[in-house]
Amino acid sequence: MKVHVDMSICLLHGQCVIAAPQVFSFDDEGGLVWLAEVDDSLRADVEAASDACPEQAIQLGD
Amino acid sequence: MTDAPAAELTLDDAPYLDVADPAFSIRSQAVKDARAQSWFARTPYGIAVLRYDEVQKMLRHPKLRQGSHLWPQHNGVTTGKFATWWCNMLLCQEGDTHARLRRMANPAFSPKLIADLQPKFQTLANRLIDAFIDRGECDFIAEFTEPYATGVICDLLGLPFEKWRELADIAGDMGLALGVTFKEDLPKIEAAIARLFDYAEELVATRQANPTEDFIGYLVKSHQDNPDQLSRQEMLDMIVLAIFGGIDTTRNQIGLAMDMFIQNPDQWRLLGEQPDLAKAAVEEVMRTRPTTTWVTRAATEDFEFQGLKIKGGTTLHLYGQAAATDPAAMPEAERFDITIPRKPHFGFGGGTHHCLGHFIARGDMTAALALLASRMKNPRFNGEVTWLPDSGNTGAIAMPIAFDKA
Repeated sequence: MKVHVDMSICLLHGQCVIAAPQVFSFDDEGGLVWLAEVDDSLRADVEAASDACPEQAIQLGD
Repeated sequence: MTDAPAAELTLDDAPYLDVADPAFSIRSQAVKDARAQSWFARTPYGIAVLRYDEVQKMLRHPKLRQGSHLWPQHNGVTTGKFATWWCNMLLCQEGDTHARLRRMANPAFSPKLIADLQPKFQTLANRLIDAFIDRGECDFIAEFTEPYATGVICDLLGLPFEKWRELADIAGDMGLALGVTFKEDLPKIEAAIARLFDYAEELVATRQANPTEDFIGYLVKSHQDNPDQLSRQEMLDMIVLAIFGGIDTTRNQIGLAMDMFIQNPDQWRLLGEQPDLAKAAVEEVMRTRPTTTWVTRAATEDFEFQGLKIKGGTTLHLYGQAAATDPAAMPEAERFDITIPRKPHFGFGGGTHHCLGHFIARGDMTAALALLASRMKNPRFNGEVTWLPDSGNTGAIAMPIAFDKA
């Protein structure tokens, strides 16, 4: 599945990093990095991350 | 302003704000002057951060942790149900334990759940408005914001609305723990939290017998499926947090909304004509007049931020209200206007401790404001408003208003 974060509304709260640490993380400068394409086995975590995002900045596609 | 590299700053040069003075106001000219002069100020507690970019960065700074964990200890309270709960609950945890608990809690507060609750919010708001609308006046806190905020929690917990008074009283007694008389009020606080845990136990038992897809149902299921990820005690602590954290905040915030609209009657008229603006109205109220005007952080070690050396252990208050109304941060920042697109506010905090219940709070306040503005025209104060101090958590205790029935 495809993962996209709209960085124009992301405020770097890091709730996605908590929900799906295998997909989202912070780099050394504190910027958000993520895997654009993830295995279906991580679907539940990625959906939880998308739900939990306070700014609703995460879009998922198949 | 120059482009020269940031010179080393010292606390001694910063403006001083006497936040501990009961007459101190977070919206005073002194705070605005300090904000114009410097991004930080000295306070009796430590450092106040006053500007938008600095607040935003420090909300999620890796060298800062949530600063409320020492509160009971600072008040000489080290044992008892309240202190134990406080130190173990989500807000006071950091790192791996926080991440684990937050991962378990987030689905119980997901935006999907809120869509189902929207009709219940409207029913509740209408029921309360019906009770006073023909009178043309009410105490907005006693007759609307308090029963509404508590009624929403009853809906969330699956309790009948009639329980609201009892729950509001328990939350009120527990709230004494956040005040300066924490220690003398301890017996009352301990009795309140014991009752709240009894409630939580009962609610869990009913879900264990009959599983539900509501907030508590989710937590019970998480605990049953992954007891190593969410223990029984952690589940109960979370339920107590949701009840305690959801009542006073929403009660105060809707009262503050009414205060802003009474001062800006054209905006209330506009909202009455265009109820779709209610969502934006909630954000604009929380930007200009949040109940949580600052959040607390503590430095975990010595570090430097924009030329200022901050010692490990320093308490920092991030003044979200001051930052989000800074004229240097956005045009017409001090104007209350529900039609202007704004930068994000800090009314729900931010970073890893961003308010867990914000989807519910946004949803219930949106429903309430849309209905209030369409049913009540020309609201105005109708007697003296009694206010909490204008500091970290603020709001009205009593707010007599008059209005014209639509």
